[in-house]
Amino acid sequence: MAEFSWDIRSPLDRTLVTGPYGARGEAGLSLTEIRNFDLVQAMARRGKAAEMAAAAKARFGVAAPETPKAVGNADATLIWSGPDQFFVLSKGGRHGIEALASVFAGSASLSDQSHARALISVSGQRVRAMLAKLSSIDLHPDVFAVGSAAATSMDHTSVTLWRGGDRGGQAVFNLLVFSTFAESLWHTILDSAAEYGVTIGHSEELA
Amino acid sequence: MVGGAQTHRLADGGLIDRSVPLSFRFDGKTLLGFQGDTLASALVANGVKLVGRSFKYHRPRGILTAGSEEPNALVELRSGARREPNTKATTAELYDGLEAASQNRWPSLRHDFLSVNQLFAPIFVAGFYYKTFMWPAKFWEAVYEPAIRRAAGLGRAAGIADPDHYDKAWAHCDVLIAGSGPAGLAAALAAGRSGARVILCEEDFVPGGRLLADGGTIDGLPAAEWIARTLAELGSMPDVRIMTRTTLFGVYDGGTYGAIERVNDHLPVPPEHQVRQRLWRIVAKRSIVAAGAIERPIVFAGNDTPGVMMASAMRSYVGRYAATPAKRVALFTNNEDGWRTVQTAIGAGLQVAAVIDARPDVSPAHRTLASKNGFPVLNGSVAGVDGGKDGVRKIAVSLTGGARAEVDADGLAVSGGWNPSVGLTSYHRGRPKWRDDIAAFVPDGAPPGMVAVGAANGAFGLGACLRQGFEAGAAAASDCGRGGTAGSAPVADDEAFSLTPLWHVAGKGKAFVDQQHDVTASDVELAQREGFESVEHLKRYTTLGMATDQGKTSNIAGLAIMAAVTGKSIPETGTTIYRPPYVPVAIGAFAGHHRDETFHATRLTPSHHWAAEQGAVFVDTGLWKRAQWYPRAGEKDWLESVTREVKAVRGGVGFCDVSTLGKIDVHGPDAGVFLDRVYINSFSNLAVGKARYGLMLREDGIVYDDGTTSRLAEHHYFLTTTTAKAGLVMQHLEFCRQVLFPELDVQLTSVSDQWAQFSIAGPKTRELLREIVDPSEDLSNEGFPFMGAREVALRGGIKARLFRISFSGEMAFEISVPARYGEALVRNLMIAGKSLGVTPYGTEALGVMRVEKGHVAGPELNGTTTAADLGLGKMMSTKKDFIGRVMAGREALVAPDRQVVVGVKPTDKARRLRSGAHVIPKGEIPGPGNDQGYVTSVCFSPTLDQWIGLGLVERGRERIGEIVRAHDPLRGEAYDVELCNPVFYDPEGGRQRG
Repeated sequence: MAEFSWDIRSPLDRTLVTGPYGARGEAGLSLTEIRNFDLVQAMARRGKAAEMAAAAKARFGVAAPETPKAVGNADATLIWSGPDQFFVLSKGGRHGIEALASVFAGSASLSDQSHARALISVSGQRVRAMLAKLSSIDLHPDVFAVGSAAATSMDHTSVTLWRGGDRGGQAVFNLLVFSTFAESLWHTILDSAAEYGVTIGHSEELA
Repeated sequence: MVGGAQTHRLADGGLIDRSVPLSFRFDGKTLLGFQGDTLASALVANGVKLVGRSFKYHRPRGILTAGSEEPNALVELRSGARREPNTKATTAELYDGLEAASQNRWPSLRHDFLSVNQLFAPIFVAGFYYKTFMWPAKFWEAVYEPAIRRAAGLGRAAGIADPDHYDKAWAHCDVLIAGSGPAGLAAALAAGRSGARVILCEEDFVPGGRLLADGGTIDGLPAAEWIARTLAELGSMPDVRIMTRTTLFGVYDGGTYGAIERVNDHLPVPPEHQVRQRLWRIVAKRSIVAAGAIERPIVFAGNDTPGVMMASAMRSYVGRYAATPAKRVALFTNNEDGWRTVQTAIGAGLQVAAVIDARPDVSPAHRTLASKNGFPVLNGSVAGVDGGKDGVRKIAVSLTGGARAEVDADGLAVSGGWNPSVGLTSYHRGRPKWRDDIAAFVPDGAPPGMVAVGAANGAFGLGACLRQGFEAGAAAASDCGRGGTAGSAPVADDEAFSLTPLWHVAGKGKAFVDQQHDVTASDVELAQREGFESVEHLKRYTTLGMATDQGKTSNIAGLAIMAAVTGKSIPETGTTIYRPPYVPVAIGAFAGHHRDETFHATRLTPSHHWAAEQGAVFVDTGLWKRAQWYPRAGEKDWLESVTREVKAVRGGVGFCDVSTLGKIDVHGPDAGVFLDRVYINSFSNLAVGKARYGLMLREDGIVYDDGTTSRLAEHHYFLTTTTAKAGLVMQHLEFCRQVLFPELDVQLTSVSDQWAQFSIAGPKTRELLREIVDPSEDLSNEGFPFMGAREVALRGGIKARLFRISFSGEMAFEISVPARYGEALVRNLMIAGKSLGVTPYGTEALGVMRVEKGHVAGPELNGTTTAADLGLGKMMSTKKDFIGRVMAGREALVAPDRQVVVGVKPTDKARRLRSGAHVIPKGEIPGPGNDQGYVTSVCFSPTLDQWIGLGLVERGRERIGEIVRAHDPLRGEAYDVELCNPVFYDPEGGRQRG
């Protein structure tokens, strides 16, 4: 009987090359693929939005977003994805689809999207200049504050965008993109970012 | 050879950096200029007067303006793949090593063969082509047009791919300002100080507008110092952004503006990783047009002679670039502003030959200036220019009262007044209004949120420009809720402005209105005589204003001349419609990143990289890259590879990545009811653990899409769509859920990307699966019957979904795993199936097997067919309502003579069948009257060893066995085919159930 190994490959595994890219000198940007996360989409059953919100509050200790926002606690981020629906982003199965099934039983339908998305985290001095090439959204700090989110498109590709907590005084933007589009968007990002100089990496840790 | 002598450069002054000399080549000759020059100013500094040949008559032309309105000084810039035709020398920044060539001349600029066209000028009038090249008609494309294009025309495109990159970006602000002259800078100051987010776009590479050439005093400071102080203050504001080399070219809906930034046009080659140009889409709550005005020529005989130049342009060359277009200058003006040129010329030590002023009176101050500097002031107008390719020699003046005079000069500055740049205010179909006091059109309203200020608004005094700009800046900021203190407006005096309109001086010789398109005053008069009086007709008949300069120096003169000959006023005559872009924008900038392999986004299947390793040939299907076939060494063509793949499946086992199918989770207590309404057949009665083929119609009764849907749990269905319609079906279902059936408790999510899905097919499928599926799972016919669907454990611990469905007609399963395991699965299938000879197959083999099996796909689900046409009419439930049911019952959709799916095979087994061939009854002459349908899908069937196909044929199913004619006029073929059962392979279906 043959031995089968079940190595996982993230959507960018084959194309991401860690290290510097583009213009030399101090990198204006860092690009990080976050790998191997759990992502569950919760959609309220008809007329059960309040129950779903209560269930989320009980589980996560924060109110689920009702407008384009991302909120979170230490080990999960709740990201608005449409009216009466949100994503739960987490690691290690603690809030994966099986763990959440009982939490939202009767109040929401759950769909596992863990493998359906790539997660790219972008930060650095020139992050807004680079994202201006991809996104029609105004990312000025006064307009798109920490915790702002958007269901939008970049390069004709559907993207969930949200601003995470600042890191080292720099804004951090997170992009969830459909897995099968990820390489294509990645190359567009690299093209857009090259002039600023990029540091490319990947991580198993959520930002 | 270095022609180093800048014979026409002043020793000091100007905004050039004499410490940075730049070497450049014009028509092969090496010349020198300085940092801060444009190509035009450097040519002026080198005494170059002749820079091009005109479009139609090949007349020698010089430099008319110093801005983006230039009609004459067009060159081919750069060489090789970067060659850019029709580049304005007046806006091209000089850089070291710049190469430029004059256009539309042969063999050389000075000795141009086709200048003989001037001798035939009397026949090359407006409408000449339409009247002359009428017969024989077929000669137009073959002979006349190519000949005309060679003779008349502009520069040559590179003809090879542009090696540079372009990109696009968005910007957002409260207040967007077009132009950095005094009005624009004052607007930016007021808005910025109030706390607004400001973007100021300036076409030039230096901010300042006319101040750069004309100077002036603002807040007691010389203009240059005021500009520096203002830029420093604006630079200290984090939310004020000044974008030089950026032209705001268009106004679109909802406060969106288009701008083109020439990021690296001022360098020979963009630095590594940088773009040449960037297209901006700017979203602004308010916008302020401070785009200035364009000085307009006066039309007179010989007004295109090199050395005739706009008065303001002459001031720019002398004042800004310290370059003198002439040694002995005459001025022809009809307004006060033109006289500034005299001061500039005297200040630079040039001789003033004469001032020809068309106004009845000239102020005593000017007369004093004239006598002090020893030049005459002539009341009258220029009647003609004596000169040629070496420039102006003599100027003929017709004096008020009828006498004539002559002036010796090597340069003539002309000012006919100023036309406000109303383009941006008029791009939403606005029509400017006429103002008599300045004899010019000014904006009459503007798109929402926009206001024009300064010269663009007809305010020509420096003080007024500053006041209007500042007030508008403060008001715009306040409109955006920015309550900071703007402080007080910069102060300057207002110059007097007086003008006597003069458009055209009648005289002997060609007098040009549109110099770029060689349209003369007599062409305008001819257009009127021939009935083309409307300005829109005038434009098209004479091509006035249709060149790359879009008539910036010619449109108003043209319509003024039309007004004069028709006896109407200028406002009665009206303007043509203004349309963006304000300046030409390279298509490359609109394309941005989207060219070549990044023309559009692509989607890759989970097995893509593995398939690439195997040497798969990929095909674009929508955005997807799919493996089309997997060639093996020694196979001579695709058909051999595909045939091998089909035989391997039919005889053993193969697999194919079908992850591209749309996959949708349908959740909720009403999921079954919902599916009953969107599909023609029932799903609420589908047992958990089973799959069913479903067909959905459009509201009009035509088939929309098909696919299998499985019931995974009581309240959870898993629906699949075709690859092509995945996104559309998701939209359609969301529409049904949210709009048509909001009462149903159902939730939808796309899971297309969540699952890597493979079809495993062939008689040895079960053997392969037993290798990889955990032994505890029962895969027997009883344990996992045809159309079963359930989760199974795989060896090694992961879970998969297994669906016993078949598209190939073989014993088949589809297996799906979460996508990150997709590549592992495909590698494990190869390991598990090694001893079975497992064969990966591509979309071609998939297509062959579906045609052999008579399954319909895209070519049959083509937006015109009903369920019955496809042979699936019996699936339409009569026990429930569903989308499309009522409309599907319309007479024409149930008519007995509809074209329906049927099998087609050539009677000659060796003949290749082609899709698209029309079906004609045997023995009849083909024509629309007896066209009974066409062949939709074909393949070479290895199983039947001949070409076979499916077709949509009138009453096809009643005609099985009939021989008809396949008529293929596109390929010049006609041959006999037999109509047959569309299920060519295993019509009883025993193999897939086995």
